[in-house]
Amino acid sequence: MSSLTLDGLVKRYAGTTALDDVSLEVRDGEFFTLVGPSGCGKTTTLRCVAGFETPDAGEVLFGGNSVVGVPPEERDVGVVFQQYALFPHMSVAENVAYGLRFADDPPDREERVADLLNLVGLKGFEGREPSALSGGQQQRVALARALAPEPDLLLLDEPMSALDARLRERLRREVREIQTELGVTTIYVTHDQAEALAVSDRVAVMAEGHVEQVGTPEAVYREPATRFVAEFVGENNVFEGVVRDGRVDVEGERFELPAPDGRTTFCVRPEAMQVDGGRNRLTATVEYAEFLGEAVRVGLSWRGHDLVVRTGSVPEREELVVGFDPEDAVVVE
Amino acid sequence: MAGSRTGRERSRRAERVALPLAGLATAALLVVMLYYPVGTVLVEAVTRDGAPSLAPLLDVLRDPFYVGALAGAVRDPAGVPAGVVAWVATSVADVLTALAAVPGAVLAPDRSGLDALAAAWATFVGVFPPFGLFGFTAWQALLSTLASLALGLPGAYVLARFEFPGRRTLQSLTAVPFVLPSIMVAVGFVAAFGTNGPLNDLLRALGLPTVDLLFSLEIIVLAHAFYNAPLVTRVVAAAWESVDARAVETARSLGASPLRAFRDVVAPQLAPAVATGALLTFIFTFMSFPIVLALGGLKLATVEVWLYDRVQQLALTEAAALAVLETIVSLGLTYAYLRYEDAASRGDRVASPLEREPLVGLDAKRLALVGYALVVGLVFVLPLVSMLVASVTGPNGLTTRYYDFLLQREATAATSQTKPGVAVRNSLLFGAGTLALSVPMGLVLALASLREGVASRLVGVAAMAPFAVSGVVVGLGMLQGLVFGVDVFGTRLAVGGPVAIVAAHAVGAYPFVVRNVSPLLGGLDRRLVESARALGATRVRALVDIEVPLVMPGIAAGAAFAFAISIGEFDSTVILAEGSNAYTMPVAVERFLTDRTLGPATAMGSVLLVVTAASFVVIDRAGGRYRE
Repeated sequence: MSSLTLDGLVKRYAGTTALDDVSLEVRDGEFFTLVGPSGCGKTTTLRCVAGFETPDAGEVLFGGNSVVGVPPEERDVGVVFQQYALFPHMSVAENVAYGLRFADDPPDREERVADLLNLVGLKGFEGREPSALSGGQQQRVALARALAPEPDLLLLDEPMSALDARLRERLRREVREIQTELGVTTIYVTHDQAEALAVSDRVAVMAEGHVEQVGTPEAVYREPATRFVAEFVGENNVFEGVVRDGRVDVEGERFELPAPDGRTTFCVRPEAMQVDGGRNRLTATVEYAEFLGEAVRVGLSWRGHDLVVRTGSVPEREELVVGFDPEDAVVVE
Repeated sequence: MAGSRTGRERSRRAERVALPLAGLATAALLVVMLYYPVGTVLVEAVTRDGAPSLAPLLDVLRDPFYVGALAGAVRDPAGVPAGVVAWVATSVADVLTALAAVPGAVLAPDRSGLDALAAAWATFVGVFPPFGLFGFTAWQALLSTLASLALGLPGAYVLARFEFPGRRTLQSLTAVPFVLPSIMVAVGFVAAFGTNGPLNDLLRALGLPTVDLLFSLEIIVLAHAFYNAPLVTRVVAAAWESVDARAVETARSLGASPLRAFRDVVAPQLAPAVATGALLTFIFTFMSFPIVLALGGLKLATVEVWLYDRVQQLALTEAAALAVLETIVSLGLTYAYLRYEDAASRGDRVASPLEREPLVGLDAKRLALVGYALVVGLVFVLPLVSMLVASVTGPNGLTTRYYDFLLQREATAATSQTKPGVAVRNSLLFGAGTLALSVPMGLVLALASLREGVASRLVGVAAMAPFAVSGVVVGLGMLQGLVFGVDVFGTRLAVGGPVAIVAAHAVGAYPFVVRNVSPLLGGLDRRLVESARALGATRVRALVDIEVPLVMPGIAAGAAFAFAISIGEFDSTVILAEGSNAYTMPVAVERFLTDRTLGPATAMGSVLLVVTAASFVVIDRAGGRYRE
């Protein structure tokens, strides 16, 4: 078990900067998620932690000790990839046992393999070939293989992305349970913000090679620090305007907003928008309505801006008066 | 316990330096075996009396014997425009005369029409000024390329579009001509198409006039087609198989006729493969040596043969100048080929390939294929069969005298004479040595060429350099640089002929290992290696545990090629084995060939054929265990 510190990581590839001054603290035993759109640098960060990439600048510290320059095989990390990367010429047991060959005090091989397969719910699969397994089963073997040498750090690179939605949800709960049971510090990389919110102790939202915000899932959702986080994590209605004396002017409409004077950006969640309610009201045109089961998602157009509102029923009018209370508006950078 | 841990630490440290060391060793071997020897030859072309000079190169370029009409242009560049104008003025008249004769010739009912056509063609060809030795070399390479395309493309059509028993075997067989020793093929062609060969026997039996093909351009072109048509077939059939049936179906559904769909959808996808095959054929035939030497002699010498002759006459500066110019041409072509192949290489396997037709049935198309099969039999089967038959046929019917001759030579020959047994033993030893060198080298180079960055692209090109450098030059360089010895810090270092021969064979063989292994290695998910390393494996362990088992089929195929290439190599061996006991089977064939009868050479050639075929099959089978 180990804590992880990234300090000012920079990684450049032929002209583009993949990581631009990335600094993070991951606590011992934490389930920590890097989330962001593709190309944001989350996988590159993970690869620097694993030792597959060497950062151009900055430090990677395991439990306070620098590991820059240490090859991957000396870092005691376990890695699970999206594509599973099981060794196709080895059986399930041989895959799981592979890392034990290099352990300083190798445990009993068969016992350890059986324990791990039991842990991931694949009891008795020792003799199977990887190609004979389903995607979910392969991912479980990959997890067991990564955990077998008891790594200090478990690195999961989009491990669920190739699986279907229901299996993904079940497997991510299982992964979280196993992680809690073993207490292994885990870095989880995903582009799926809902998944990130569901499983993590803390989340780092990344964009264009830097960290936008670090916090608990709740903090990131309720108090997004930047406009990017506000729009990436869940849905949001974003407004820009100028504040004077507790009122903000947006497209000529004046709303109540307790914020310091000057230009500001603020956002309101779709579920905080009320039809025919709220202290700040506006009249918008209905563009579309989607029935989601538990709610209806209504798309609105207001003075050239797209807005989204969640309501209980499909609107019957073409024009809708919606509003929000000033307490529900979150000012972002 | 603690003891075993330090032991483990030590072996890990060793593993960590193993790969860089292997890389260095490979680079060092390349320098010693290829760059340095070739460099010593080429340097001679740009020095005169010890000082750097372009004179040797210019001498060649100014000599009409080598470059024909271009010599004038090099001597007097200012006169080029006037010369071109004068040439156009005179040749337009000739071309018009030739064209005017064509309609009358086509309409003529009897043989005179053919003669008239031939005369018109001769007039037309006569318009072009001669371009000397280089011009002839390019001309025969062009004709050989056209012949290979003509012979190879129908084969690609048959293999890609028809289903029949033995199709896969036939497809595998297309790899075989490429590894057949060229000197043996030459003997086969002499046996098949010589004055008393089966072709002329047949013509005589039919009461037709016989043909004398020996020492003619036709037989050289035919022998080149023997080698390269299967290459064209392989490359084009592979491209044809990767054509997506859905694309053709889409074209048909949009209203295209089958022919139109072929033209618009299939042909554009085949074009790069055809061009690749043609370019490769041109490169190989431009540099071809034993075929031309044995079937054409000095009368029809190409640059490579003339180069060999200059070496024999000890005109080394002239030889070096020729080698430089030849290398420039072939390197340029090889570079073009690699660029083109890069651009044309296809990614994934096609989900829905075109459905194959059954071959049975009778219609015009299939009748044409029967005709094609006859031509294939004539070109590919007849020479080999003729050689085997000729080795057991004397003037009075069946005989074992030629094999008896071999045995007798073995028992009684003086040390200076060529012993068949020694040749077989040498060939197998050198083959084993070549395997031991070229397989690890090829693997290391394949790994290096797959890394990202400019350096690895250079490695990729450098790895292919042996394709572009003439075997005669490599042999000559080794002879001068290694066998005669070099002074290093006051100590004279020299290696024996056998070591130099193995080195030369390894140089010729390792590119085949690289080419067989690289695609498989490149196709592996890099996360496999990364997973192994995260689990505690060093880079070398990951290579041994994960990559090598997964690319084993490629390694086995590369090894089979390497061994077969070593067994058949002639160009550099003939130079390095000169006057020593390090001769191989192909050299023995050539030595027996210079005797009065074809018999001993065909017998030795048959032995060579059996050994080559057996070793290719054994090595390929050994690797085949790893295949699905």
